[in-house]
Amino acid sequence: MKKQNLVANYTKMKNKKGQLQIQEMAFMLVAVLFFFVLVGLFVASIMYSNLHEDATQIAETRTLTSVTNLADSPEFSCVLSKSNCVDEDKLISLINKTSYINFWTFSSLKVVTFSAFNKNENEMIKCTRANYPECELFLVYDKNVSNERAISSYVALCRKEYENGYTYDKCELARLVAGTELKT
Amino acid sequence: MIRNKKAIEMGFNWIFAILAGGFILFLAIYGATNFIGMGQNTINTETAAKIVAVFDPLETGLASGKSSEINLVKKSKVYFECDSLANPPFGQQIIAFSEQTFGTKYSQKNRGVPIEDKYVFVESILEGKKIYLFTKPFFMSLKVADVIIMGIDDYCFYDTPLEIRDEIEGLNLKSIHFPNSTEKCEGKKVCFGKTVSCDVKVSIKDNLVQKDGKKLYYVDNLVYGAIFASPEIYECNVKRLMNKFNELGNIYLDKISIIERKQCEPKIQAKLNILMAGAKSLKTSKELIRLYEQAQEIDQINEEAKPGCKLY
Repeated sequence: MKKQNLVANYTKMKNKKGQLQIQEMAFMLVAVLFFFVLVGLFVASIMYSNLHEDATQIAETRTLTSVTNLADSPEFSCVLSKSNCVDEDKLISLINKTSYINFWTFSSLKVVTFSAFNKNENEMIKCTRANYPECELFLVYDKNVSNERAISSYVALCRKEYENGYTYDKCELARLVAGTELKT
Repeated sequence: MIRNKKAIEMGFNWIFAILAGGFILFLAIYGATNFIGMGQNTINTETAAKIVAVFDPLETGLASGKSSEINLVKKSKVYFECDSLANPPFGQQIIAFSEQTFGTKYSQKNRGVPIEDKYVFVESILEGKKIYLFTKPFFMSLKVADVIIMGIDDYCFYDTPLEIRDEIEGLNLKSIHFPNSTEKCEGKKVCFGKTVSCDVKVSIKDNLVQKDGKKLYYVDNLVYGAIFASPEIYECNVKRLMNKFNELGNIYLDKISIIERKQCEPKIQAKLNILMAGAKSLKTSKELIRLYEQAQEIDQINEEAKPGCKLY
């Protein structure tokens, strides 16, 4: 009887020891997995931020090169292909033309006339078909992104005027402003 | 005998450790493989985006053409797709990239970078290390866009008309040769004359390029697109260009209504409307010939307008 009790106690003790070992191992495994997950997340976050940085850099380079050529594109170019010249009579037609929002890669595109160079955007008179050409800001489109960097280029802004029996091109200095979305 | 039989004790701890260890090892290998794949995919996407960025400085502006070269570090494949119905009304092209990784094996191509504002005339897949590209403006009375031509193979142009030869030689492209019929030249054969065995046959008289058993009709500088692009990409880009012409036409119609107030009497409106309708409904490049004739009529009217009243 005594011997039987001893065997039973020994088995119980062995079981408890075994359970403890399994628990230790399970905790260890969870810790190891947790460690790897943390390392993975850390590496992924670094890669992800680098990816965003690279994407933004490429987008900015594209905006910079595009904006200098944009005035000579068919949508903006002046009559008889004057270089770096924006046709104001075409520009007014581009306002609120939704089809071009997904054509150019810019997050926003606008032209600011010379008279508004020292004004804040909310002080400028926005151009519409009703007030054209007595206005200062041609807002082609704005995707209203939260984080944007704008790049601008100076252009000649020309429109047709009629005076003393002659139709002629009236030109002034303007700024073509294109925005790039900064991905964070 | 039975008592002496030796056995390996496989306690629960051992079985548990083997199973858990195997699982962790599997996770680690799976994670590492995915990580390498993701890294390669990132590189491919970045390279595709960088190739697209090369197109921007190639905009011709007032120039008659520009050329450039892309030198890749490893032998690579650049994939192109074109969809005239995506991103309405302009359509879009997709560019994807993959490069050689181990030996001659190529990495998996990335999902692709969309190109909305460019018209790239190219074969569906370019494979190699050195890509040449050049741009030419495309006019249909007014300038519609720049056509970008990309290639990787050498081309041998036979019996080339002087005008085309001068234009290509002016771009200083080393991969396009103009041999005599007796000279040896290795590359794709482009024939403007009646040579029989050619990869590409060009008939200037009919505005026709025959390639891969297909007939591609061209006008203006689209002749280069027809020679260098795969028939599918050519036809798709012709549709995209006509969609763009239609959008530009709307801008010019608005301009007509503005300059009418400035004592100008543009007579283009009706003809431009007809041309825009034709461009919008274009199905194949064959219709380009008829549209181009209409465009030339518009051009003539615009030329005859008062100096201050020209539309473009």
